[in-house]
Amino acid sequence: MTAPLRFHWRLIQGGDLEGTIGPERLSSATALPEIAAQIAFCREAEQSGIDSVLVDVSTGKPDPMVLGMALAASSERLKFMVAHRPGLMSPALFVQQVNTFSTLADGRITLNMVAGHSLAEQMTYGDDIPHDARYERMREYMAICARFWSAEGPVNFSGQHYRIQESCLKTPFVAPDRSAPEVYVGGGSTNARETASVLADCWLRFADTPENIAGETAAMRAAGVEVGLRLSCFVRPTRSEAVAAARHLLKGPSVDRRRSSEASFVKASDSKSLQQTYSLGEREWLTPCLWAGAVRALGATTVALIGTPDEVAEGIMNFKDIGVSQFIFHGWPKWEEMRRFGKYVIPLVRTLEQRQNESYAMVHS
Amino acid sequence: MSALTPPTPVAAAKRAVIGKSLRFHWSLSQAGNTFRRAVCVDELSGQLPFEAQLELCQCADRQGIDSLLMAIGFTRPDPILLSTCLGRKTRSVKFMVACRPGLISPAAFVQQINTLSLLVDGRVHVNLVGGHTPRELQYYGDWLPREERYARLDEFLAVCRAFWDADSHEVNFAGHYYQIVDGRLPTPFSTNGVRRPEIYLGGNSEESAELAIRHADCLWRFAEPPASLADKIAPVIQAGTEVGLLVSLIARPTRDEAVQAAYDLVAQFGETARDAQRSFERHTDAAAFQSTYALCRECPSDWATGTLWTGAVPVLGAPAIALVGSAREIAGALLEYKEIGVTQFLFTGWPDLDEMTFFGREVLPLVRAREALTAGALEVAP
Repeated sequence: MTAPLRFHWRLIQGGDLEGTIGPERLSSATALPEIAAQIAFCREAEQSGIDSVLVDVSTGKPDPMVLGMALAASSERLKFMVAHRPGLMSPALFVQQVNTFSTLADGRITLNMVAGHSLAEQMTYGDDIPHDARYERMREYMAICARFWSAEGPVNFSGQHYRIQESCLKTPFVAPDRSAPEVYVGGGSTNARETASVLADCWLRFADTPENIAGETAAMRAAGVEVGLRLSCFVRPTRSEAVAAARHLLKGPSVDRRRSSEASFVKASDSKSLQQTYSLGEREWLTPCLWAGAVRALGATTVALIGTPDEVAEGIMNFKDIGVSQFIFHGWPKWEEMRRFGKYVIPLVRTLEQRQNESYAMVHS
Repeated sequence: MSALTPPTPVAAAKRAVIGKSLRFHWSLSQAGNTFRRAVCVDELSGQLPFEAQLELCQCADRQGIDSLLMAIGFTRPDPILLSTCLGRKTRSVKFMVACRPGLISPAAFVQQINTLSLLVDGRVHVNLVGGHTPRELQYYGDWLPREERYARLDEFLAVCRAFWDADSHEVNFAGHYYQIVDGRLPTPFSTNGVRRPEIYLGGNSEESAELAIRHADCLWRFAEPPASLADKIAPVIQAGTEVGLLVSLIARPTRDEAVQAAYDLVAQFGETARDAQRSFERHTDAAAFQSTYALCRECPSDWATGTLWTGAVPVLGAPAIALVGSAREIAGALLEYKEIGVTQFLFTGWPDLDEMTFFGREVLPLVRAREALTAGALEVAP
């Protein structure tokens, strides 16, 4: 018996609303919340069976904690996976913000902890810690957070980066079923995986073939940590329409410029997983339904499941078979893709899961 | 006064505020827990009733209150997130969000404030506080001694101002506490040309006054008699920074009723409340709190002036120094402060909702009428 897969979707941000192509990096179009459209998107997500929406963090976007709070105030069931970079605030203040969010929104907050992907971008925030030390700091940060969430008494901590004494916070984390938020950690480096295996509920990574990720996935499951994939999908009534929709992404007038800006972005980044996924883009197809055609122009999250609802559902179950249990999707246009996914793919996945559980029960009865 | 004699600082301060309307703010911190200040901080709950908070905000919307102070501290919910929720459900009242520099990078703070502002139509002020209790700052990993807290606050505000004033330029800052390289935050404070929130800064110390002059729009101080306050605030006002007072209100239809309400207020508290205040006083290193406790000790009758009452300070703390009187007396006291250059007030009351309603209905119209008279007199003057 296995738990049902959980599906998340990336929140639409300013530049995503109208076009068929994602926003350019750090373009000012993404910097404004478009609250009315985002509220409508969140309601649609609730109706589509989406578990949570990912609210990204970047200097070029509105603050995800504050934006998530506003969206939570206008939704009922949807959770908000708030991305957060340690290094910009005291872990105690962060816990206070998370706990405040939870008390105002019935615990509908989860955390996506990201170490950062570029020293240059961190410096624009006033943070000058390099890659490996970032993970060390993130581990201290998350260890402190975990103490606050589990603590019976005052929190004491003395590390390389933080020193906290006899600390207590009077606003608790409040949720119907948890005493601490669910924590996601992303990243492909050894450091990221070690951090996830000790401190996260779920490790997030960019997609690759089930074959290529089976080993790391099994290791993570053995450590008691779930595995989630960040990827895109194109679901259409026929395979050829789905393929055409994906390839259409690369027809935009700015694609050549995007190719060169993506190349320099990845080159400037010290993120292992961005570099690994960039190298996948040598081939257009990783499997018959897993597409990497846009990776070199539009980034690592555009590795996509492509096909009919049946093909995409089967592609998802292939990941489930090797231990993946959560997915964070993107699509173009995001809104319609999410609606199609909720309407056509999720019910098929649930049927396949039920069938699997029934045959499991038969074998073990 | 002859045009040839240079005006005294106090006279100049008075002249600086002529024609300005007083602005009134209210603290949200007691909403739903009226006597929270009588409780030792270690016993407080940080999970406060949202409905009561929203009710006070909606009342402020109706009563012409400019903003609600959203305090920060380990016994409270986070002020930025709480303001987000309250702001989405109100129309005109603003949120004065408190910030302690040691807890967050200035770039991240600006990004959170700008995001909040865009979500609530720009209804955001910020209130910078240095922190008042080292023990509590260490809860957050902030170990800086008091002198350095001011130096850091200075840099923090310089970086924030640089981001807000940057327009499309990149921000570079090489300070002792903060270094920013090519900083750029494309999320603006507003889309209508207002580039930054109004900046308030609290404190009774010299350092606070200097920082306020350098970076802030308004300096908050705890209340004291106008006679002793005038000289202290004149240089700040002369330098172009407003001065506001933190004071509680006990206003009633008659003076007798107000005084009775004041005495009834303190009569309900015993040694526990006094102990809570003694403990706070022992641990604080903030000049504002210390000077109010001192004023209280020097004032055996509990009346610092005919309307300024210190009787609640021993049980409800320094912020409980209060203006007590009839609506007419309170209006008079506020305008007396205006005479020495004070232009903003931040109130609390017990309970806030009743006090705010009475203030909006009975006191505020008197203040506005007197202000209109003064303005009229100015217009007809030769």
